[in-house]
Amino acid sequence: MSVQRLLHKLRSTQRRSFAAISTNSPPQPVNYVSPYQIFDRNAKRLQKDRAAIRDAGARNRTVDYIREEVAERMMERFMDIKRKFDTVVDLGSGPGHFSKLLETDKVKKSIMIDSSGRLLNRDPDSEFEGKLGFEVERIVGDEENLLTIIDRNSQEAVLSCLSLHWVNDLPGILVQIQEALQPDGLFLAAMFGGETLFELRTSLQLAEIEREGGISPHVSPMTDTRDISNLLGRAGFTLLTVDTDDVKIAYPSMWELMEDLQDMGEANAVIGRRNLIQRDTLSAASAIYKELHGESNSIPATFQIIYMIGWKPAPSQPKPLDRGTGKMNLKDVL
Amino acid sequence: MSAQAATAQRTRPIQRLALHSTVTCSAQATVYGKCILATYTDVKKDICKEEFAAFKDCIQKAMKKR
Repeated sequence: MSVQRLLHKLRSTQRRSFAAISTNSPPQPVNYVSPYQIFDRNAKRLQKDRAAIRDAGARNRTVDYIREEVAERMMERFMDIKRKFDTVVDLGSGPGHFSKLLETDKVKKSIMIDSSGRLLNRDPDSEFEGKLGFEVERIVGDEENLLTIIDRNSQEAVLSCLSLHWVNDLPGILVQIQEALQPDGLFLAAMFGGETLFELRTSLQLAEIEREGGISPHVSPMTDTRDISNLLGRAGFTLLTVDTDDVKIAYPSMWELMEDLQDMGEANAVIGRRNLIQRDTLSAASAIYKELHGESNSIPATFQIIYMIGWKPAPSQPKPLDRGTGKMNLKDVL
Repeated sequence: MSAQAATAQRTRPIQRLALHSTVTCSAQATVYGKCILATYTDVKKDICKEEFAAFKDCIQKAMKKR
């Protein structure tokens, strides 16, 4: 009898762990949310900190696969830029998935900035690719207030690999990056956008409608590819390059996907999220995910990555000629 | 007792729910999923109530077993 009671007690004290974090977040004003407040940055920092220390970082390392893949693809784009840098800023670096790949003959020093100190310091300096003579500086700071961390007109390059999707004020951070760069400075970034996790989003929505009669935010709103070039242009970057890439990953079921997202520190942090999902809704969503998107033995999860390159204007850069200055008649050529 | 408690700690309730909703009750899950799939452009609350009830019943029975 007492054994049963103990077991029951044990069971009732165990918490479902897919519930989103709500502790310690500053209370959100009920009637006022500023136009650019979408994400709960404090909750996000806590999620990342916790992800980094769960099982002494082992869980977090296991789910590095997406970030490592994207870091490599971003590195290909970085290597196409024929220029050497003394210092680059790795904004929202995490443990440095991108900085680890940098080589000393191209970059001498990387300044890694992340709001989660535990994630930032997860890996020792010895794991970085250009070990000899490669310098790493780690700064714990809010990515949203870049200009409080580094000076204006001070940087040769600002790079960001899969971090900007948690920034509330994307137009603002792009302006800050542009301000922080020296003339002719480089901005190169990869961020989640568009169709990322649309399968999970639709499954949860359908399950919530059918079970509970309404929907609530579970997957972040993402930036559309078309908006990025407009935003870069608006922030004052020139010579823009924007392209997209899909990374599709197969999971055994929705549950493994959600567990991995949590281990990455990428759990839901939308302001106004519900603090838990009902069991029924979760099982329903799992069944819908499988039926609506699933393949024979697995379910796919799409991650759409937007890569962007922009330069701070400088007189030395090539510019289009003024209108009407053309000397050759196009009719003669065509 | 200690062995039992250890088992309970190793497999968290959420993991057992995951197992039962995908493996143990996959037949009922498919029926429910197909019902949603048939109406997914116009889903309303409780539109697949019976199918879900069967699915839930199966999960609950499986969760009770240790």
